[in-house]
Parts: sequence; C-alpha cells; structure tokens
Amino acid sequence: MSEETCDLRELEVLLETFQGKKYPVIPILQKTQSLYGYLPQAALRAISEKTGIALSQLMGVATFYAQFRLTRQGRHLIRICDGTACHVRGAPQNIEAVEDALNVPAGGTSPDYKYSMEIVYCLGSCGLAPIAVVNDQVYGKIDPKTFVEQLKKLE
Amino acid sequence: MATVTLTIDGKKIQAESGQTILQAAQQAKIRIPTLCHHPALPPEGACRICLVEIEKQRSLQPACTFPVSEGLVIHTHSPKVLEARKFSLELLLSDHPLDCMTCQVAGACVLQDLAYEYNVSGERFKGIQHRYEVDTSNPFIVVDRNKCVLCRLCVRACNYANGVEAIGLVLRGFNTHIGFGADSSMQDSPCEFCGSCEAVCPVGALLPKMSVGKGRSWQVKKVRTVCSYCGVGCQLELEIKDNRIVKVNSVWDAPANHGWLCVKGRYGYDYVHHPDRLTKPRVRRYLLEGKTKEEKGETGWEWVETDWDTALEITAHKLRAIRDTFGPNSIGILASAKCTNEENYLMNKFARQVIGTNNIDHCARLCHSSTVAGLATSFGSGAMSNSIDDITEQARAIFIIGSNTTEQHPVIGMRIRQAVKQRGARLIVADPRRIEITKFATAQYGGLHLRHRPGTDIALLNGLMYIILQNGWEDKDFIAERCEGFEEFQETVKRYPPERVSQITGVPPEQLYQAAEIMGKCKPMTAIWAMGITQHIVGVRNVMSLANLQMLLGNMGKPGGGTNPLRGQNNVQGACDMGGLPNVFPAYQPVTHPEVIQKFTQAWGSAPPPQVGLTVTEMIPSIAEKKIRALYILAEDPVMSDADANHTRHCLQQADFIVLQEIFPTETSPYADVLLPGVTFAEKDGTFTNTERRVQRVRKAIEAPGQARQDWEIITEIAKRIMHSGTPTRSETPERDESPSWAAWDYTSPADILREINALAPSYGGITHDRLERGETLQWPCPSPEHPGTPILHTKGFARGKGQFMPIDFLPPTERPDEEYPFILSTGRVLYHWHGGELSRRASGLLEIYHQPQVELNPLDAEKLGLLAIGTEGQKRVRVTSRRGSIESAAWITERVPPGMVYANFHFPEASANELTLAALDPISKIPSFKVCAVRVEAA
Repeated sequence: MSEETCDLRELEVLLETFQGKKYPVIPILQKTQSLYGYLPQAALRAISEKTGIALSQLMGVATFYAQFRLTRQGRHLIRICDGTACHVRGAPQNIEAVEDALNVPAGGTSPDYKYSMEIVYCLGSCGLAPIAVVNDQVYGKIDPKTFVEQLKKLE
Repeated sequence: MATVTLTIDGKKIQAESGQTILQAAQQAKIRIPTLCHHPALPPEGACRICLVEIEKQRSLQPACTFPVSEGLVIHTHSPKVLEARKFSLELLLSDHPLDCMTCQVAGACVLQDLAYEYNVSGERFKGIQHRYEVDTSNPFIVVDRNKCVLCRLCVRACNYANGVEAIGLVLRGFNTHIGFGADSSMQDSPCEFCGSCEAVCPVGALLPKMSVGKGRSWQVKKVRTVCSYCGVGCQLELEIKDNRIVKVNSVWDAPANHGWLCVKGRYGYDYVHHPDRLTKPRVRRYLLEGKTKEEKGETGWEWVETDWDTALEITAHKLRAIRDTFGPNSIGILASAKCTNEENYLMNKFARQVIGTNNIDHCARLCHSSTVAGLATSFGSGAMSNSIDDITEQARAIFIIGSNTTEQHPVIGMRIRQAVKQRGARLIVADPRRIEITKFATAQYGGLHLRHRPGTDIALLNGLMYIILQNGWEDKDFIAERCEGFEEFQETVKRYPPERVSQITGVPPEQLYQAAEIMGKCKPMTAIWAMGITQHIVGVRNVMSLANLQMLLGNMGKPGGGTNPLRGQNNVQGACDMGGLPNVFPAYQPVTHPEVIQKFTQAWGSAPPPQVGLTVTEMIPSIAEKKIRALYILAEDPVMSDADANHTRHCLQQADFIVLQEIFPTETSPYADVLLPGVTFAEKDGTFTNTERRVQRVRKAIEAPGQARQDWEIITEIAKRIMHSGTPTRSETPERDESPSWAAWDYTSPADILREINALAPSYGGITHDRLERGETLQWPCPSPEHPGTPILHTKGFARGKGQFMPIDFLPPTERPDEEYPFILSTGRVLYHWHGGELSRRASGLLEIYHQPQVELNPLDAEKLGLLAIGTEGQKRVRVTSRRGSIESAAWITERVPPGMVYANFHFPEASANELTLAALDPISKIPSFKVCAVRVEAA
C-alpha cells in the first residue's frame, strides 16, 4: 500500500482553525503534512473542497517547495547533508551506509515505511560536518557505523 | 488618464499612461512578436520573446508588461534584441519536437512562425529532452506536454476566463509542466472542457482531438456564425474542409462571449454530420396509398422515402383539407426556438395568414412564458433588461435564483465567476441544490448560498424584501418617481417576517439578513433567473416578485442592475419576437388589438380573428378532445420536452395529421405522418436573437446533406401550395385588403424575409442583414436603420409607464411529498447535454463524457435506501416513480441535492424526467410545474 487511508476527520478539525476570509496555503499544507507525514491526495482534495482553493494551485505549491512530500513517508525522516563541507568530510560514505543497512534509497522510503531519507545541501552547521538531522534531532560529526547503529535503535 | 509620448523604432507615438509598451506599439501598428501573450488575458512576461531595448534601461525588458512613460526610447528590433529573441527561441526549440511536418497546428503555430522569422532551426543546443506521454484519454483535448512552451496561457485562460482553475504548473525548474487538478487527467480535475486553454495554446500542446488529422489551417474555409445550443449567443468560427466542420475557433471580438465558449459550442458540433440526419422526405405508406389513417392497417404506418413534390403536396393537401373541414383553429403550429428569426416569422405568417389561426406556440411556453407574462405585468415588456457585458462587468452584486448558470448558460456562468474573482462582485445564489456556481457564493468571496426548499421562492423573496424595508435599504426616490402599487405591496410583504420565512423556506434568519444586507448595500445588483423561477404553478408570481425586488432596490434601468431572465434556446428570444406565440404578432403586437389586426390584414391580405390561440400545453391535450386535428411542428420535440410524456404520447397518437420538420428522427417522429428534412445552423443563413436581445448573423458554412432543404424554403413551399389551390374557406377571416404589400411568399433569401420583418415588427425595424454584415451588433428595440440598438431597457421609463408593484403571496406547490411519494423531484439539464438530447446525444464527445441518465440523490437518503452498501458506482441504480410514470437510472450520490430531494434530467429517452413530471399549469402563462413534483425512490 503506497498511500495510507487517511482519517480526514483530523484534517477537518485542523481546517476549522484556519476558518476565516483568506486561507493561507503554505501553513495549511505544512500542518497537514505534520498530521499525515506527507500530503495524501485525499487530504489535498478535502482541503480544496473546504477552502475553495483550487486543487491545481495546491498542487503547484506542494510540488514547488522541497519541504512538501506527496508520497507516504517512513516513520523516521533522515536528512543527510551533502553540502560542500559535509561532502569532503565523508557524507557520501554515510549515505551509502544508511542505504545499505536500512534498505532506504536516498530520496526514498524503506519498504517497511520505517525510514525515509532525504539528501539536503547545507543545514548551516558546517562546524559539525558531516551532519544529519533525524526527526528534527541533530546528529553531528557522524560516521557510518555509529550513525547506522543510532538509526537502528529508533522505534 | 494622462497621455505620454514615447519613441518606438524612431517613430514618435502617443499612448495612455497605464498601457504597456506592447499595447502602445500595437496601436501604432508597430509589430513586436509575442508568444505567451493573448489580448484577452492578463500579461505574464513568461516567454521573453517580446523583449525590447529601452534606452537608459540596464537590461532588455518585456514589452507585454513594461508600462509606458514619458520620453521612453524603445528599439524593437535592435541587434541586441534580435540576438536575445533568437537565443530564447533556440532554448525553447532545444526541448521541442521538430515534427512540424505532421503537427496538427503547423501553419497556425506561433512558435513555428517565430522560428521561421528568426531563422532558428533548433539545432544549436543539444541537451536533455522531455519525453512525456501524450494524454488522449478525454474526448475533447489531446495533451502533448512535449510541445508545451510553458507560456502559461492555458493556466491563465482556466483561471481568468473560465474560473475553475483546473490547470496549474507542477514541479519546478526543468521539470515544470502543466498539470490538471492533482496532476492527473483533465477528466479527473474540475475541468469543464470549455476548451479555452486549447483556444489560446500558441503551439500544439493542447489540441482539439476531433480535429486532429482533419485538415490544417491553410486547407480550411472559415465561416463566422453563431452557436446553435443555448441562448447566450456565442459567436464562433467554423473551419470547413470537404463540406465538413473540422474545428471550432474562438471569435475574439464577439459581443456576447468575447471568444470564450463552452464544451457544447466548441466540441458539440459533430451532430451536424451524424448518420441519423434526415436526407429525404418521408411519408407514411397509407398516405401514398390514398387511405385514411384509420384504414392504414399494419403496413400503412411504415415510412416511405419520397421526393419533395410528393411530400409537400400531401402535407399541403392534408392541412388544407383539415382547415376546410374543421376550421382554421383545428390546426396547431409549433414554431422553433432552434430555427432562425426568418423561419419563425414565416411560421407565424403561415399560421396567421395561410391557415388563419392564432394557434401558434413553441417551447418558450415551457421555459420563460411566465417571465414574459410576469414582466409584462410589472413593466409592460418581458425580456432581459440588460446586456451580458453590463451585468458581468458593472454589477456590484449578482443575485442568481433558479439558474444553474455555469451548466445552462456556461459562458455567462464563466463571466460571473470572473466578476466574483477579479473584481469582487458579491454573489448570492438561491437554489435548493449546491450547484457549481455556489462555490463562488461563499464567505471568502463575500457572498452566500441560500438553500431554500423547492417551490418556496416567493416566501424567500418576500422575506428578503421585509428585511430591506425594515432597514430602510429601499430606493425611496425610485419607488416614488417610477413605480406604483407600493402600499398594497408593502402590506403583503409585512406578513413575511424572517421567522416565518425561515420556517417555510428552511433558510436560517441570519442568512436572510446577510443576503438582504448585501442587496441593500451593494447597488447596483443584477437579478438573474431561469427555469428554477419560471417552471412552477406560481411562475408568473415568482417573476413579479423579482420585479418587485429590483424596483424596491431601484436597480431597474441602470447598468449593472435589471431583471435578467436567461433564455434557454439559441433563438428562443427570436422565436418569441417573431410572433411564435398565440397572443401576439411579431414584436409583441397583440392579436386582440383592432389596429394591429388591421395592420397585418393590410400587409398580408388576411389575419385571424381577434382571439388568442392555444398554447402548446393546451394544444396537445386538445388533440385528445378533437379540438386540434393537425399539427405542423418545426424542429420541436414535445415528447421529450413537455411535462408528463405519457400523456403527450397518448395525445399525439390521436391526431389526424402531424407534419414534422426536423433534422433527425426524434422521440416525436413516431407520431408524425410526414417527416420533412430541414437543415442545421451550419447549413443556413439568417439571424438568431440571443438572451440579451442581440440579433446576430447566422451564416451558411456547408451544403446540406442529401435532399435536406432550407427550412424557410420548406415553409414557403407548403404555404404556396395551400394558398394557390382551390378557394380557401375563410368564414372567420375579417375583411380583405385589395393590395396587400407583403401577402406573397416570393422570397428568394432570408434577407428578403428580414426586409418584411423590418417593415412589420417595429422593434426590428432597423435590423438588416446589411448592417449585421458590416459588423454592427444590434439589440432590439432598434426601430430604424440609424438607431444604434438598445443595450439597457427601462432607462427612462417602463413600457407600461410606471413600474407596477404587485402584492404576491406565497402558495405551496400543487403536489407535495406524502407518505406514498415522499421525495420532491426537481428536473433540469446538465452541462454536457442539451434539452431533449437530440443534438447532444449525437455529438460523440458529449455522449462519451456523459453517456447515461443520472438521478442525483443525497447520501443520507442513499443510506436509507441501502445504496451506500452497494459496491461499485455503476451498480448504484434507482427507480423513481411518480403518479404518472416511472424511470430507472444510475444514481449519483451527492450532497448537491438536500435530503428529501432528487434531481433528474430529461436528456435521455430511456429515463427522461418528463415521464414523471406534472402538467400542473401556471394559470396565467400555462407553464408546467417541471420543478416540483412528488416521487417515490427505490433501489433498483
């Protein structure tokens, strides 16, 4: 199953909080994404229906910004930096190790929907290179072995 | 606006500040090439083709967005500009298939022309090319993203012109592409297939599917004419190759539609070439054998194809015999809202001069007869008071009641959406159903949807007027100066406080207040209505209520105001104007007035006695009573369009003789004795009058198939044959004039007929083929050749003098839900089909996208019927039964309809809503109550 059947009731509650004259597209999409981990098509349709913002507009915004995801994500989001500083400090090896050990392709999701991995370019903490952010938690000066261990410990 | 002077290519020119360089250059006839620009849409500056060099500006600037200012010095073709343009084109072509040899739009492709002009072959840059799959999954538009240049014209057309925003841009950078809805297919998006995107696409990325391979722009003949579907009166251009319509183009300077069309107008034309077309006259065998209808036997009812002479002779002989035996009033004539003014005028003359009866009517009886009667009482004349331009561009508020505008008058619907989105017009929609336009009547847009119960319009309107009066929002000066009957009206309205109205209508009091406030504070407001108001036993009263409202608010006779009934058929306005009604000669001259009778007696040599004739809703039941013996029907289909189809069939069966002039065998033709093949709009010359009283030229584009003949010729032939044989017995005919000026039927062309109309119908006095041919667009009244026409009625006074306030009380519908029939049935049409469906069911694309009847049913009701549990959509079927008939149909489970209500259309004979409807008539206009009857609904 690539798309979870999502419970739209929570979304309805969420949209109530935006009730007003002009619906702000990006915040709505962000909140929706934190609800489901991604933007399920059913949710986008429901947002369009409720807010009157055209589906094509929502799609335009959702696909333009890298922060929005349209496919179901793993429970844990790994963002590994492959910016210049991290790259020279060994990011490629870290990425390869994670790909192999956790069966999650860069830019993709593991088949068991446990992990998703995104490659990003600079997280602004080059002093800690190579760096990764997992579920909003920063991991600095990582090396393949310990990083994989740390990831495996996640539930 | 200040005037500025600027220099373009060494030429000093004047422009208005606020104009763009492109506009200024175009005005001065200086050409700046464009790709992503379309004059009907806001500029975007996306393609960089119109770059120009402006002295003292650091970089090249797009002419399409750069505003003019004093002293600009601009070079449109300097070496720098040429180099930049060439470069942009090289880049575009680097990711564009170079297949002009087989491309459908070659010859009409802006990119191809630019590549030629700038000598760009597309070989300079070699890089990655997109390989998108071509989407041919919908019947109308082929989407080939490989050819897309991302000019965003389609996106703009969908946003600005149509308003549904089905198209957007998806992803970013090199991967950006146009996407529909959730980046799926057009049919899975809110797309209505108006084809505006295809019309503005400068390349071959969006193609009209039906035209692919049928001919390219230089191989076709182009003919400008008027659409044959609804009353909006959209002008369009037909592309013709080998006597076939191969494409429909936009006409950008068309007065009613400004180039925009709907799916029916743009893609619903192929019925013209359908194999069902009648190409030879047909008569029943018994007529050839010289038998009577009673002796016809088993084989006597077979159709036999004959030559014209035989069919016309039989028709003339039969009609003459019936007239001579049973009197002129034993014959009924149905004119046609689909035919031209000229043809309708002839039908009127045929009935009144040749036969000598006022028994002439047409389907306007079934749509806006209550409007005509109601407005005649209130104002003295009954047509749309304002223009489409005016109500969509000037009104501060728009009140739609009983009109599913975006589906029935799609281009007006589009323009209302534009008004709401682009200039913030406040939209109030009163409709029991959550129709598409209600999406624009929301708090975000400053409007609202009043979801009143079917048949409670008067209570609703009185309730709104109660609040308006209570708050002093009425226009006291207007009422005092231009109206009468206010006190009595006010007394009636006082009986409708919000609480009572809320109880009757189901609309919460606070919504009534909100709506009344918008009406009171946002003037001018235009009132728009259609069948939801008229097709009730209180149709006339509904209309007078709306007239009351607009007089109360002082919205009459002003731009952006008015009472605006949207007329249904392409020429229903014209058919009424031409005297296709039992009570009036052309231009609404009453059949009962002695001076009018004298005028027509003088003109024609004879006119019928001063008795109002029968309406279509009386004519057909009169057959059963043997009062009507014969019918001459021009392009109408009473079995599909009249209420209570069972009864209609029962009556038609008993007629002595029915002659039907049609383009297809219809549901009515099984009851006809003679079937005469007429022609479609594409095969004839003449004029149509649209909903805003605008008379427009219809032009012949192709030759008719087989032996099908011009309708005006057929009518003329029958008339001549009746007139020139034997001595007509006209016992009831008044005295004859010796030298009637227009008595003869020697017409040589529709222009000839129009000359007679000019002479006899005062409001058409100055509307000539010559003027229309010169490009003038004329709205009646246009009494003289110098008169410019009348865009807004009632500006100075009402036709009857003062506007008449009428005290109107609420009356409940005749048939209300009860235990046995607990649902209310309302009926109407859908976007993809037209009326009885005889045309649209023969348009392949329309039939593909909407191929079966559907009954709308609320999910709560569906649950009670156990329909929700049934697996697939296709298996959810219902049986709907009224006291008169029963239909089985697919169910569309939707919140569009409120619980307790079902909605069915009458496009498909296998499940036509008119099997169920009730022929309860409005006492004044005789319109049937199509909008409310009681039914039972079961899972089928």
